Amino acid sequence: MAEAPAKSAFTGHDQPAGAKSFILFRRPTAKTGLVAWLTTVDHKKIGMLYGFFAACFFLLGGVEALLIRTQLLVPNNHFVSAHFYSELFTMHGTTMIFLAVMPLNAAFFNLLVPIQIGARDVAFPRLNAFSLWVFVAGAIILNAGWFLKAGAPAAGWFGYAPLTSKTFTPDISADLWTVGLQVLGVSSIVASLNFIATIVNLRAPGLTMMRLPVFTWMALITSFLIIMAMPSIAIALVEVIFDRHFGTNFFEVSNGGQPILWQHLFWIFGHPEVYILILPAMGYISEILPTFSRRPLFGYPIVVFSGAMIGFIGFGVWSHHMFTTGMGTVATSAFALATMAIAVPTGVKIFNWIGTLWGGHLRMRPPMLFALGFIWLFMMGGFSGVMHSAAPADSQQHNSYFVVAHFHYVLIGGSTFALLAAIHYWFPKFFGRTINEFWGKVSFWVIFVGFNTTFFPMHFLGLNGMPRRTWTYDANMGWNEGNFISSLGAYLLGLGILIYLAAAVWSYFRGEKAGPDPWDARTLEWSIPSPPPEYNFAVIPTVHARDAWWYEKSHPAEIAREKSAHARDEAAHGGIHLPDQSWYPLVAAAGLLTAGLCFAHDNFVGAIAGGAILFAGIYLWSLEGPGGYHVHPETPADAASH
Amino acid sequence: MSSPAATASLDHPLAPPTATGIPNKKILLWAFLASDCMFFGTLISTHLVYRLHPPPGNPVPTQIFNIELTSFSTFILLMSSLMMALAVNAIHRGNLRSMRSSLLVTILFGLIFLGCQVFEFNDFVFDKHVTITNSIFGSTFFTLTGTHGTHVAIGVLWLALMYIRSFKPAGASGGGWVGRAVVHLLVFAATAVLSLYSLYHLVHAVLAGGAAWATVTGFLTADLAPVLGALAGLGALRWLGRAHGPVDFDARNADDVESMGLYWHFVDIVWIVIFTAVYLLEYVFPAAH
Amino acid sequence: MNPSLLSTVPGHPPAQGRFFVFVQIAMILAIITGLELLIIFLPFPKPLLIGGLVLLSAVKFLFVIFFFMHLRWDKLLLTCVFFIGLVLGGGTLWALVSLFGATASVPLSSLP
Repeated sequence: MAEAPAKSAFTGHDQPAGAKSFILFRRPTAKTGLVAWLTTVDHKKIGMLYGFFAACFFLLGGVEALLIRTQLLVPNNHFVSAHFYSELFTMHGTTMIFLAVMPLNAAFFNLLVPIQIGARDVAFPRLNAFSLWVFVAGAIILNAGWFLKAGAPAAGWFGYAPLTSKTFTPDISADLWTVGLQVLGVSSIVASLNFIATIVNLRAPGLTMMRLPVFTWMALITSFLIIMAMPSIAIALVEVIFDRHFGTNFFEVSNGGQPILWQHLFWIFGHPEVYILILPAMGYISEILPTFSRRPLFGYPIVVFSGAMIGFIGFGVWSHHMFTTGMGTVATSAFALATMAIAVPTGVKIFNWIGTLWGGHLRMRPPMLFALGFIWLFMMGGFSGVMHSAAPADSQQHNSYFVVAHFHYVLIGGSTFALLAAIHYWFPKFFGRTINEFWGKVSFWVIFVGFNTTFFPMHFLGLNGMPRRTWTYDANMGWNEGNFISSLGAYLLGLGILIYLAAAVWSYFRGEKAGPDPWDARTLEWSIPSPPPEYNFAVIPTVHARDAWWYEKSHPAEIAREKSAHARDEAAHGGIHLPDQSWYPLVAAAGLLTAGLCFAHDNFVGAIAGGAILFAGIYLWSLEGPGGYHVHPETPADAASH
Repeated sequence: MSSPAATASLDHPLAPPTATGIPNKKILLWAFLASDCMFFGTLISTHLVYRLHPPPGNPVPTQIFNIELTSFSTFILLMSSLMMALAVNAIHRGNLRSMRSSLLVTILFGLIFLGCQVFEFNDFVFDKHVTITNSIFGSTFFTLTGTHGTHVAIGVLWLALMYIRSFKPAGASGGGWVGRAVVHLLVFAATAVLSLYSLYHLVHAVLAGGAAWATVTGFLTADLAPVLGALAGLGALRWLGRAHGPVDFDARNADDVESMGLYWHFVDIVWIVIFTAVYLLEYVFPAAH
Repeated sequence: MNPSLLSTVPGHPPAQGRFFVFVQIAMILAIITGLELLIIFLPFPKPLLIGGLVLLSAVKFLFVIFFFMHLRWDKLLLTCVFFIGLVLGGGTLWALVSLFGATASVPLSSLP
């Protein structure tokens, strides 16, 4: 749908016509090419950038996993050195959680939330771009170690004190880990604040909170979880950083410190973090199941409420990661009970999804396959989780491969399967082509078989005593077959992921073209063209019911009248207003990157210089203002049609 | 600190109002403050946790604290909150002059608070020999109060920038005004530093030599340069702050000032908690803890 | 935003009246601070003193957030958002202090 951009001198205030204020950098206006991507404030472009970087890191994390599994293929293997193995499992965990799954979810928040609520962008577009570039900065800092003598971080993805102290990790790998995570925390918090403001404030007329798509609800709850949980790890990291750089005693036993405090502060973040990873997944599934069952979601209010409950209770269970640390009977029992309680709202959601499927007309397209896989595999992960919640049983399971099995069932079987379903489902919307159906289904089966082959044996390996994070194992422990099968499964899983990605990439170029609504779906994003125009909606919709697009399809005449009336209003107001692009989010992020890298190397002059760039970037950003220009879709008839 | 209509979402004066009627910036800031509650909550927890079973040799806080000084700085911070509220109130009514003077007093009180902190830190480190590295109390205390002090400093910077922003001439665009703003900021920073430095040394001189004219003249001969610098800076600020014609700042910017005010008040309420939890509670528990 | 936004919230005093409310509250805050400083030197039983200090601080806290920070005259949503953070932060603080205060958690170096 072509539009005739009418660039006005509009900067929100009386200005001489044609005068565009510029502060240091002229306001970028390129629509294509590198500059367009570097200075974009469009949530769709930002979402794709998140997705692109996340996919790259997902592959990197996968390579790290395959190296781990190769090392464990046979007993007493020496495929990699012990230290390199420590780097591998540390970076595999850190990469998958912070650089793959979280940004993939961020990609979907960016791509979908504004469109699902009938908005043209997020509440603070430049802040959105800032979050993206700060994420890239954090990713660089975390992975810089691979290129340095110190090597990559090697203290585990949860960096327990005192292993991270200067005494036990004298090189800067621990500094890169702490500073990198701190920078990523900034990115996540800022992005979540933006989404909270967006979801609360930018909803289309008629879109009450209880008419929101479930995915948007989960995005809101996840955003709250992020802003509430990340401060805890921020403080924990500050304490480690201060111990390492300024000689404080937070975790220094000889001077009164207690390393167990790190565990508490980390898991106060770490437990809500896993709900941050899974709630968006539950959101995707709650959108996909209704579409492919041709029924509305069963028990919408309960699903939303359960999500909120999971989020809230999730702050009260962190010490279930610490059952074996000797907290005392009262504390241990309290956390065990709270952990069992969380299984209730989770189970309620599963029952609601099954209720959605029951009696529906099921269409087994690839997104549906992945969604069904999610329900089953996440449930299994939940079972092993609830087994952990019994503290006495956990004494055996803790730090064994049983835990590894549990969290991979919920994180791959859960989050990743949901993401794979979501990519398939929304691919046509954002790229205008559907992913090849046959190869999509093949990839599902290969991934499903590969995944279960890899991780199911780990339950038994764990119960038979194999500890986590072990570089080698002896041949007479009874773990040989389990590890061998698991490693073969890992290669199969890797192959499945490659098939999936190859199908996606091929389909991007040569896939079957898709219209606006290839799946006959229910929510507003399917009402606009594929790929969406820059302004999303030619006319901001008015929402009359839950599953707004389904309502629009069932009441075409009423909606058509409404849209032409609104189109006339929009045109009378001067057209569609969009924000200008800007260099400053990138500049500010570059300042933060400089500051972080220099600080990690104890280069305080460089750190201050980076800080100055950050400050200058932010100050000039605020003086620049959002700016803006107008766009006019071609004709009112064009605007009203889909 | 952006142009007035920027307070509306996506900056269209005729855009539909926000779904809740609350400006976007306000909801962003309140969510940020909720997050900051967790931030300070965990930091205060760290301090309190380490006060439960202090190791032998740990400093005894009641022997180190100067509770009169801390009460004074607490009072000053509370009064700065009052001035901030008055500044917001003034701009809501479109009274620019009143807003500017209230902002200046807020900044002054904030700087005095910071000055008291600097004094306290120096006292602990040099006179009481409690450093950030030589005890667990030192580590937690300095990190906690230092983080709070950093928040105050950021607040003071924000206030100064807002004050300077209120001088942007109507119809201005481009480099000219920004250059002037940067100069204004640098003069502000220099004046603040020199004034605090001078005041600090004056206080030390009085504490050492008693409150007599001889002490004051002695101080002036020793530290003449910073005092003169501070006075020059104040003069320059006076000159930079004179009315210049219509400015691009009025009641439509009230939301920005209010958001900044929220941050400032939050920094104050965190101090209320810290004052009780870190200082006052120590006097309730027996010294040999 | 338009200055008349203030008057859209029903039942709030006009901007002029707020000046006096703010000053009065500031005086109350100063008095409470003085009170706190006073009571710590009084020979009351510990729980009473702690309770008193916590109560007085809470009063100051609430005055600032509801009046200076406007929550009293704003939409309820903002109060809810802030209290989520406050409750979680306060709950975490309570939980951590309880955990470390338990007998099982006394560090060996502090044992008699």
